[in-house]
This record gives sequence, C-alpha cells and structure tokens, in this order.
Amino acid sequence: MAPPSWLRSRPVVAGLVILALGACVPLVGSGYVLGLLTVAFYTAVFAMAWDLLFGFAGEVNFGPTFLIGLGAYTAGILDARLAPNVSLWLCVLAGAAAAVIGGVVLALPALRVRGPYFGLTTLVAVLMLQNMVVVFADLTGGEIGLSVPDVMSVSATANYWIAFGFMAVSGAILYGLSRSPIGLVLQASGQDPVQAGALGFNVTKHKLFAFVVSAFFSGLAGALMVFYMGTASVGTFVDISVGVQIIVAAVLGGRRTVIGAAIGAVFLIAMGEALRPLGELATLIVSLLALLVVLFFPDGILGMLQGRSRRD
Amino acid sequence: MLEVEQLTKRFGGLVAVKNLGFSVRGGEILGLIGPNGSGKSTAMRCVMGVDAPTAGAVRFEGRDIAGLPSHKVSRLGVGLVFQHSRPLNRQTVLENIKVALIPDRLGMLLHSAEIDDRARAIAERVGLGAVLDRKPPTLAFADLRRMELAKAIAQHPKLVLVDEPFAGLTATEVAAFSELIAEFRAEGRAVLLVDHNVKSVAALVDRAVAMYLGEKIAEGTAAEVMRDETVRRVYLGGALVRAARDAAPAAHGAPLLEVRDVEVRYGKALAVQGVSLHVREGEFVALVGLNGAGKTTLFNAISGLVRHNGEVRWAGAPLEGLTPAAIARGGIVQCPETRELFGDMTVRENLELGGHRLEPTALAERLDWLFDLFPILRERTGQVARTLSGGEQQMLAIARALMMEPRLLILDEPTLGLAPVILETLSNALHRLRGSTRLTVLLGEQNVTFALPHADRLYVIDHGRLAWEGEPDRFETEAADAYL
Amino acid sequence: MLAWQILIDGFAIGSLYALGATGFTLIFGVSGVLNLSHGAIMVAAAVAAWALAGLAGAGPWAAALGGIAIGVALATLTYFVTVRPIQRSPRVAEAEKEIFILTATLLWGIIISEAIAYLFTNNAKTVLPIVEGVVGWFGVRTPANEYFTAAVCWIAIGLLWLLVNRTRHGKALLAASMNPRGVTLLGIELSRIHLAVWLIYGVLASVAGILLGMFLGVSSYSVGPLTASAFSIVVLGGLGSVSGSLIAAYVVGYLETATAYLISPAYRTIPALLLLVVVMYLRPQGLFGRR
Repeated sequence: MAPPSWLRSRPVVAGLVILALGACVPLVGSGYVLGLLTVAFYTAVFAMAWDLLFGFAGEVNFGPTFLIGLGAYTAGILDARLAPNVSLWLCVLAGAAAAVIGGVVLALPALRVRGPYFGLTTLVAVLMLQNMVVVFADLTGGEIGLSVPDVMSVSATANYWIAFGFMAVSGAILYGLSRSPIGLVLQASGQDPVQAGALGFNVTKHKLFAFVVSAFFSGLAGALMVFYMGTASVGTFVDISVGVQIIVAAVLGGRRTVIGAAIGAVFLIAMGEALRPLGELATLIVSLLALLVVLFFPDGILGMLQGRSRRD
Repeated sequence: MLEVEQLTKRFGGLVAVKNLGFSVRGGEILGLIGPNGSGKSTAMRCVMGVDAPTAGAVRFEGRDIAGLPSHKVSRLGVGLVFQHSRPLNRQTVLENIKVALIPDRLGMLLHSAEIDDRARAIAERVGLGAVLDRKPPTLAFADLRRMELAKAIAQHPKLVLVDEPFAGLTATEVAAFSELIAEFRAEGRAVLLVDHNVKSVAALVDRAVAMYLGEKIAEGTAAEVMRDETVRRVYLGGALVRAARDAAPAAHGAPLLEVRDVEVRYGKALAVQGVSLHVREGEFVALVGLNGAGKTTLFNAISGLVRHNGEVRWAGAPLEGLTPAAIARGGIVQCPETRELFGDMTVRENLELGGHRLEPTALAERLDWLFDLFPILRERTGQVARTLSGGEQQMLAIARALMMEPRLLILDEPTLGLAPVILETLSNALHRLRGSTRLTVLLGEQNVTFALPHADRLYVIDHGRLAWEGEPDRFETEAADAYL
Repeated sequence: MLAWQILIDGFAIGSLYALGATGFTLIFGVSGVLNLSHGAIMVAAAVAAWALAGLAGAGPWAAALGGIAIGVALATLTYFVTVRPIQRSPRVAEAEKEIFILTATLLWGIIISEAIAYLFTNNAKTVLPIVEGVVGWFGVRTPANEYFTAAVCWIAIGLLWLLVNRTRHGKALLAASMNPRGVTLLGIELSRIHLAVWLIYGVLASVAGILLGMFLGVSSYSVGPLTASAFSIVVLGGLGSVSGSLIAAYVVGYLETATAYLISPAYRTIPALLLLVVVMYLRPQGLFGRR
C-alpha cells in the first residue's frame, strides 16, 4: 500500500529534513549553538501554534504573547512561590491550563467581531497582561523579571533534546491536525464561515476549538521555556516585539502550512544571531528583511517551494 | 415540504422582504424570480438560516425553522448551493467534497474510508469523476459549479436551494446542469431556484414566484408568470406602445464610442462575450436586456472599472491604459445602477462635487440648469442624500453626472425599483435633454417600454452576448417575442 | 488646587491625544488602513526637531518646521512603501490585504524606531519649547507650554475641519471616505486623494509628536505606547468616527492624568486599558462606531 499522499507532500519532506539535520547538531555544535537552537525550537512551537489559529480562525492574532505570557508566568510564579513542594512539570501543566483558560476568555469577545477588531482585541489583551505584570510586581517580578528556582536541566545537550523533542511532537500533532478531517472543517470555517455554516458546521464552536489548541501549545511552550531559561520577564515573553517576531516567522515560512512556521522561526533566530555583530542595527535589518518578505514574497519560503499554483 | 408565510426581513430601515409567502413540495421545482433588489436572495438566506427573519414563519416538514442558525437547518436536511464561494484551493476536489460529509464533531481525527467512498460517489454523479485529484484553481468554471452542487447534495438533503444556477455557464453547460437539477426532482426532493430571469429557468421549473421590491407580485406556472400583466409591466414596462419619438439628429460620421469584441470574465465566469457596438455623436442608443444579462459589466468595461479583452475606442483613440477617473474626465460619464451617491452629504454637496472642475460662475449656471430640469432637487438642496426617496436619488445621480458636462452619458438601469410616476418624470427629463443639448446617451435598461421612445437604435443583450440590433420600429416585429 | 491641576494637565494631554487620534482615524476612514507605525512617525518628527535644534543650532520654530517636514516625508513613505504596494499586489488575496498591511506598517514602525535608537540613542529627548516660562492661571503654576500645546492642537483640528467641510478638495476627501467608487466616477483620481490624506496625516502626527516632545519628551521607547494609545482611543471612540475619537481622547487623557495624580504615575495606563476591555466586551464597535 502506497503511503498516503500527505506523507509525500512538501511540508512533510521539509519537516523531516529539518528534523534529520537537527538531530545531527549535538554531534558537531558548541553549547552556544545548542542554546540558540533551543530557543529557536520553542519559538518554532509558538509560531506553529499561531499559524494554526491563523489558518483556522481566519483572523490574525496580534497578541500570541498573551497566551505565551500567561503560560510562562503562571508556571513561573507557581514554582517561585511553591517550590520545592511542587514538581516543575506540574507547574508546566498549570501554565498550559492557564493559557487555555485565557484563550477561552479572549476568544469570547474576539470571535464576536471581525476584521480589524479581532486583531485589536488580541493586541489589547497583550497590553493588559503587560500592565498587569508591571503592576503586580511583587508577584511577578515586574520589569526586572522573575527568577525560578528550578530548571529542567543544566546540560545544554539535555535541554536541546527536550526542546527538539517537544518541537517534533508538537509539530507532528499540529500538522496532523491541520490535515485531518477536523482540520479541513476548521480551514473551511476560517475561509468561508457562511458556507461552512450552510454545510452544517457550528463555526463558533470550531473556532473556539482552534483557539484552545493554539493556547494550549503556546502556553505549554512558554512554560517549558521558563524552566529552560530560569527566568521570566516581560521582554522575553509578553512584549509586542516578540509577538511580531512570531508573526513574521510564520509569514516568512509560509502561512497555513504549520511546518513553514517552524522553518521561519529557526531561520529568523539564526539570522538574528548571525547579525549580532552589527549590534543595534540587527533588529532593524531583520525587520527590514521581514518587510521585504511581506511585500515581495507573501507566500513565504514553503510557499515558494510549492510553486505559484496555489492562490487563496 | 417547505412553507413560508408572511416572511419579512428588515435591515435597519430597509425592508428587503415583505410578507412573502410560498410553498414547495417534494418532487417539485419552484423558481423564485426577481431583479436585483427584489429580495429573492434575502428570502433564500432566511430559509437557510444565514439571516434571521424579522417576522413570519418558515416551516420545513412541519417544523418551524425560522431563526435557527444555518448549521442546524443544514443538519435537518436542507442544502444550499451558493452563487459565489471560496473553495479550499490547496485541497483537491475530493477533499473539498469530503468537507461536506464530515459530521459536526470535534473528535474526527482520522479520515474515514466510508466518507471517502461517499464523496467519490457524489463526485461521479455530478460529473467530476475525472478531476477528483485536481485542485480548484486548475478547474474550469463549470466544474467549480459542479463541485458546489456536489457539496450541497452530499448529505442527501430533502430540500435544495440553488442561487443563480446558470450564471456564467454556456448553453451546453446550462443543459447539463438542468438535467442534474431535474434528477433531484425525480428523486423526490424539493428544489428552490433563485434567479434573475424567468426565461432561463422556465424550462426547468414547475412553478414560479415573481418578486419585486421585496413582495410577491405573481405566482403560477412559468408560462403564466411570464404572461402576467404585473410582471410584464414591472420588469419590462408593460405592453409595447408605439410612442412618438423625438426627431433624431442626423447620425453620421465616425462613431464617438466604439466597442470591439469585448470580453469580460469574473474569475472563471464569462460575463460578457464578443460584444461589439458603436454610438455616434448625438445618438441615443439603448442596450436592453434582462437584469443580469451583462449590461452593467459592459458599461464597467467601457468606464475602465473592470479589466476586459477587446478594444474600446473613444473619439478615435483607444481607452487602454487610462484610469477610470481619466476616462470620466475624458467625457464618458457613467451613472451606475447603484447610483454611488455620497449618502451623508446634501444634494447640493453631491452636485457641487460633480462640478468640481468648473469655475464658480459656470458651476452656478449649471446648477441652475439642472434644477430646472429636475425641480424637485431644488426643493431638496439641503437634504442629506441618504434620506431621499428612490426616485429623488436617481434624479440626483443623473444630475450629478450631468454636472460633469459629459459628451457621453451612460445610464445603467435608471428605472430599477422606481414607481411608475417617477418614470414619467425621468422620461420627460430625458426628452428635454435630447431636445436642448447634443448629449450622446447610452442607456441600459430592462424596461423596454421606457427605453423605446427615446432610442435611435437598439441593441438587445442576452447572457453576455448581443442578440439583436436595429431600429426601434423593427424591434416589435422582430425581437420582442424573444425578449421575454 | 489639585483639581485644577488635573483639569489643565488632562486637557493638554487629551488635546495631544485628540490630534494624534484624528490623524489616525483620517487614515482609517479614507485609506482603510490602521497605521501601526503611527507612534514611530510622531517620535521621528520630535527627534528630528530636537536634532535640528540641538545639533544644527536651529531656533525652536525652524526646528519644529523641520521636524514636521521629516514627519510628512516619513508618512508619505509609509504610504508608498507599505500600503500601496500591498493594495495593488496581485499575489495577496483581497481578504488578506488588510492583515498584510497591518503587519507591514508594524514592521515599518519598528524599522523607524530602531533607526532612531541607532542614530540618536535611546535616551529621552526634549524638544526645544517654543513657548517657555510658567504662568499662574486658575491659581495653578503651569508651564505656558501646556496652554500652547492645547491651543495648537485645537487650531490644527479646526483647520482640518475647515478643510474637509468648507473647501472643494476637502470635500472630495470626505466623499472618498464615504464612497471611493463615487469619487472615481466623478473623474477624481483616488491615488491623489490617498496621497493628500497621508500628507495631511503626516502634518497632524508630526505636530502632535513635536508638541509631545516639548511637553514631556520622547524616546524610541515611546513609540509602542504612543501607537497603542492612539488605536485604543480610536477603538474606544469607534473606528471611523472622528467625533468619537475626539471624545475618547479626552476620556483617556483625563483618566490617565487623574490616575497619575491621585493613585500613582506607574499605574497611569491601567484605567484606560480597563475601560477599553469593558467596551470591547460590551460594545465592540466603540462608543460611536458605525463600521
């Protein structure tokens, strides 16, 4: 029996190539490179979760860091307050749960509005979280940041494998979801909600589902990253510029492909590092490149590979 | 099977559907006919649950479904074929159809072979067997429509609603689709077709309901509806009366406007095909055709608002490469069917904008002249355009277009939706215009009776093609019967 | 006299916000764009004015005018670089254009603010005030600058109103916001109208930015919060409603000022944000929104 067609599709092949390459890195890379890629892998999960929501809700979430930040800070605060009575992994799960709850709370008003209002609602959510973190500084560490006593591991290699494995599994789940029947329905709901309704689908329910899935993975990744870095701060988890990076990563890689978002994230982080010697100009150049991609290559890397035959 | 009673739908202040009532039985095809703005599409959407009715009852198999959300209505056994839809372009035709077969549960993670088989069967049935593995961007338009049909009937609905079944299809494709729809009837389903045009669905429907301005104006067999006095009057302007015509100025010389072999496509659908016509300076040319025949599309091509193949020449030079605004400044001014007034501005402000290129004295003179032509506008100069009646808005739109001192005035369906009394005023205004100026006019109308007394020449357009051309005298003998 | 203090400060801040928000709404109403590089343009104009005064030795009026020139140039560039190419691009689906433009303006804003940080460092800069000194009106000692700020803002808004409602070209702008196709049918090129709108917007945003620079000082860190407050105000007032933006600007301005004085400056943005959240839950189209 021939393997199903989706297994032979470009995103999967690209994904498998990346995984194969990624598995080789610990053999040759320094601790510095491993650390960089670890962060890149977590960012990849952020980006994939965003792409899922974008593809399925059909609207742009301008505040993915709302969900990430909720996950990160919940896990971090719990650990900071309750350690050593509570396991690190329990905090991680609590973080994911908090992100899911936050996602539902955000989804309720956001799904009732369309177009620019949806994006604005999500952006407002991020601002709220940012302000809350600063206001309740005694709990969250404010702008300085929060230190967590536990970390997952001190070995760069171990952390790398954890992140790598997490990304691979998340990617598989999210991509599989996007190609499953439920994924098809979600795509249809995002693209033409009126017709999806006429075909018998409760569109609101499906969009809410997309929100929950996206929130779960974002929050989980955020919580895990806290225990990798050992600190949580507004600048790493909640800031709008982090959100922009995520969106750019997904667009760079190719919207609605899930795997493209991961590729875009790794590419973006690697490029940011490569440009570090330029100092302050680094962000500027990365943003400039991202703008060029948005203007001239809207289909992203994966989109270009898949050729111009598809047009939404 | 479907009973609609006293259906009313209001959007803010606008009443789209008023006290509509009709019924459809299993094994029957009903046609809901009406021009733009008649409320037929709104009525269909209310039945499907896409919009909620403001008042009235909708009963499906005895069960009240008015106000239910569309996904519930669909699961009760109603399918809707949309006129415009966005298919999933990255998925194959088969996968697109499978979407229609997936149950509304969140847990479906694995593809089911059963759904696969059912999808293939439906695809075969509508004639898509050969293209199952292709993706929508590569399909021909007719196949895309087949795919929409397949999605709607995938769950074997007892009632099928079809919006504009034949729009954009060639004659052979129309025949194929008619057969498919006739099969639904044979299977005992109820079918409701919504269309512009009684003629195109006449062969297919068992009964028809004609709508105008939100209300039902006639019901019966297709033939009965086509012969109905009210329908003819409202759609066509009534019986063709030979009216006295203005003495036509001698039409000679090279044409002012020349349209050569113009073709317009909306996506894949062919809206206008191989149309060639010309208008000489000083002539009044009428382009008559039913709503949806392609008049507006053609006018938009001439005005540069849509892309087209073929050539349009104005005063000897091609219009290619000019922006729509430049074409308007060049002398071709269009007064579109939708009027495009500035709703929140007053009558005077609208008119002044029309005369934005005039010097103040010239502006004032022109305003005076137009107020003379349309006295009602003088009374209403300070009134906000949105609050004017339909007829007043139409007059304002025409007046505003005239403020631009056009050489060619294109009028698109000025009488649509207006009461007969206003038609007289408009007709008189047109007479006066012709008498006192050298204005060249290209009038697009469904209402032949309105157009005939003014026209020097007539073109008939049907399904995007020119069907007849000639003098008004010959129209009655040669083309009138074919028209409706 | 705290009440008067709050009243005056709040009025000055509110006026600044009103000017910025009016520009923001103008762009949205006519061009259909939510310009997320708004804060960057404001700060760029202010920093340009500061640089011209500090580094080139220009007088306060000259520096201000120079700042406005830079701001207008940047605003026009925003249109040509981020908005127009995407609007005309055949490779982006119609439904996605809005999102792409939003992202592009966001990136453009980041580029501008990073450039400012690179060229002039992150430090806060105060623009050379045109009006100096302190006055004692209403029993409160206030920098005369604050009254100047409020006055200039209202003059600018007033001039805009006159332009749009009383001049032929202005009415064309208004008409374009109501019905772009209608304007085309009348032989007016929409591209010219867009250009005009962005030019006007550039003036409004620059003036607001420079006044802010004189009043409180700016830095590249101000960019994000300025954009955020502009669209919060516009959303609160209702997208597309100029009067809504004006009212919302003062509501937010007073909420911030009152909070800063009565509770703590660190919390100044919270009540406005809470109000926004509540409004979005209950009435997503804003107080006066119609779109």
